[in-house]
Amino acid sequence: MFLLDFFWSLWESITHILTFSRNPQNNKLSIHVKSNTGSSVDVDLDPQWDIGTLKEAIAPKIGLPADDMEIILAGKSLDDSTTIAECDLGEQSVLHAVKSHGQRQRRSRPLNQIMSDLVEENDATLTTVSEVPENQDSVQPPVADSEEKQQKNAHFYVYCSVCMTKSTGNPATPLKPKEGKLRVRCFSCKSGAIQLDSDPASWSDVLEPARVSGDCQEQGCSDGPVAWAEFFFKCAEHVPKSENESAAVPLYLIRANSRSTPCLACMDVLDTVVVFSCAHTICLDCFNDYMTSKIRERKFVLDDNVGYSLPCPVGCEGSLITEIHHFRLLAPNLYNLYQQFATEDFVLKSGGVLCPHPNCGMGIYPDDDCNTVRCTCGYVFCKRCLQGNHIGDCDNAVDILTGLSPSYTIDPSRAAQSKWDEASHRSIRAGTKPCPKCRTATERAGGCMHMVCTRCDFEWCWVCQTSWTRSCMGSHWFG
Amino acid sequence: MSGYSAEVKVAETIAYKMVSLPRRIIKETQRLLQEPVPGISAVPDDSNARYFHVIVTGPDDSPFEGGLFRLELFLPEDYPMSAPKVRFVTKIYHPNIDRLGRICLDILKDKWSPALQIRTVLLSIQALLSAPNPDDPLANDVAELWKVDEAEAIRNAKEWTRRYAMDN
Repeated sequence: MFLLDFFWSLWESITHILTFSRNPQNNKLSIHVKSNTGSSVDVDLDPQWDIGTLKEAIAPKIGLPADDMEIILAGKSLDDSTTIAECDLGEQSVLHAVKSHGQRQRRSRPLNQIMSDLVEENDATLTTVSEVPENQDSVQPPVADSEEKQQKNAHFYVYCSVCMTKSTGNPATPLKPKEGKLRVRCFSCKSGAIQLDSDPASWSDVLEPARVSGDCQEQGCSDGPVAWAEFFFKCAEHVPKSENESAAVPLYLIRANSRSTPCLACMDVLDTVVVFSCAHTICLDCFNDYMTSKIRERKFVLDDNVGYSLPCPVGCEGSLITEIHHFRLLAPNLYNLYQQFATEDFVLKSGGVLCPHPNCGMGIYPDDDCNTVRCTCGYVFCKRCLQGNHIGDCDNAVDILTGLSPSYTIDPSRAAQSKWDEASHRSIRAGTKPCPKCRTATERAGGCMHMVCTRCDFEWCWVCQTSWTRSCMGSHWFG
Repeated sequence: MSGYSAEVKVAETIAYKMVSLPRRIIKETQRLLQEPVPGISAVPDDSNARYFHVIVTGPDDSPFEGGLFRLELFLPEDYPMSAPKVRFVTKIYHPNIDRLGRICLDILKDKWSPALQIRTVLLSIQALLSAPNPDDPLANDVAELWKVDEAEAIRNAKEWTRRYAMDN
């Protein structure tokens, strides 16, 4: 028994040594270093290296002495003592090597750490900070003597069109946001070899162009030392296929829950939350439930400036989500519905009609002076009552489709295929009433006579078929 | 032996139902049972944890004082994203409650928010008993009388309370 224990502990220590000695190799990072003269070097480096070591390593290849070199990442010239691990670089990241100006004041810390400082001071307007998640060990190895502060990182969440449009299998499964990294380039020449004159102090500085100035050191940049900075986001969860890959969209309402605020819906305290401009906080799962429930009820708001969006779940004034990419987290089948409803509402709001033919729904902007609309699907209808084209006023319409008009013929085989046959036409007529405003066929499944149109929000009376009034409530609310 | 296995089966059924219940509903139920709101009791049904038997006592200094009003409350599938469905089971003479017990209360309709709870809904209903609002009526004849002859309306409300809400 003792012998067995002895061998077991021996085996454990051997495997421990093996994994320990293998680790550093696993942590090798492949990155590109670009110089402002156009040359570019690929380097495999160890995250434990500091910037000084990196300069020594690349100096011969770049053709610039290490003492005379500055390494720029995300708008910052990195200090020689900064380690690669502190910069939170991913595979295939790009660093810029430029000739030192000498007189420029050195900034020592990378942008991700600057941001986390700002975040702590400016929590309400910017974002929040969290501990580095455990699964990030491969990027950021546990450095024994690192200060507690350096284990913190500003976390950004993004919509990544590369990772998030791949088929996930089940189209009914909601998507998770990806972690993102903040980067900066010259607004004019798009080069990353720019040094910021000041740090961004708020989300507006990051999201709006031409708010923070910088010194672009790219040779041939027309703006040079008086350039504007342009911030953008990178997805941290995939290795970029090319340097020019389209940027990730920041989902800036999604934050690490540094204040341990309970979700307003499930009341649990979760790590990642959505914080609305009114400070109401909801967890990611409940945010998805909220979007799902609102899209099914068709209760999104079409705002002229923002688009098709939602306010905070409590309905606070001015809390509309202004970055509609947050809705990309909807399950793909519901996101399709979101796009469809948004388009339909836009067409209706801007004076168009939707073709009433089943499986068509084409948006059409009809002529002002003619009631007859011909859709590209072949269906001809009246733009006022959205029924088949007819002669006379809509209330006693004679349907041309039923064959009463000699001037109109239909292909019998096509009519047979059509779901819009006479029987279903009749049963829809018998079982529904059109919304008095948008003419959407409406079925009353129960409840009172007070109808609210799910398409145009018009409140109407099932009995009078006009807008809902106090007298409807008084005389025939329940029929 | 057969009685024992039947008991086990019931326990398993309830456990299964609790598992399929969102944590929020479990938490709210526990809190309602452990720290009940004064004057309000809400107990989940044995066979359906989303269905609550509610008793609200008529507030002091209201025509409903001394009455015990039974209500039913149901949490729909997408609760808390949509509002609970609440209805008076006990007959009540109130301008905002109709003869089927349906309640005219904004937070049960368009003013619902997932930040509200069963507890806050029942408190709002209790407040509605203290402060009837005849300008936003559901029972129109009651509201009419409440506006024209408040004394008569209050007499009716007291009479209905005595007749329907005190016997049980």
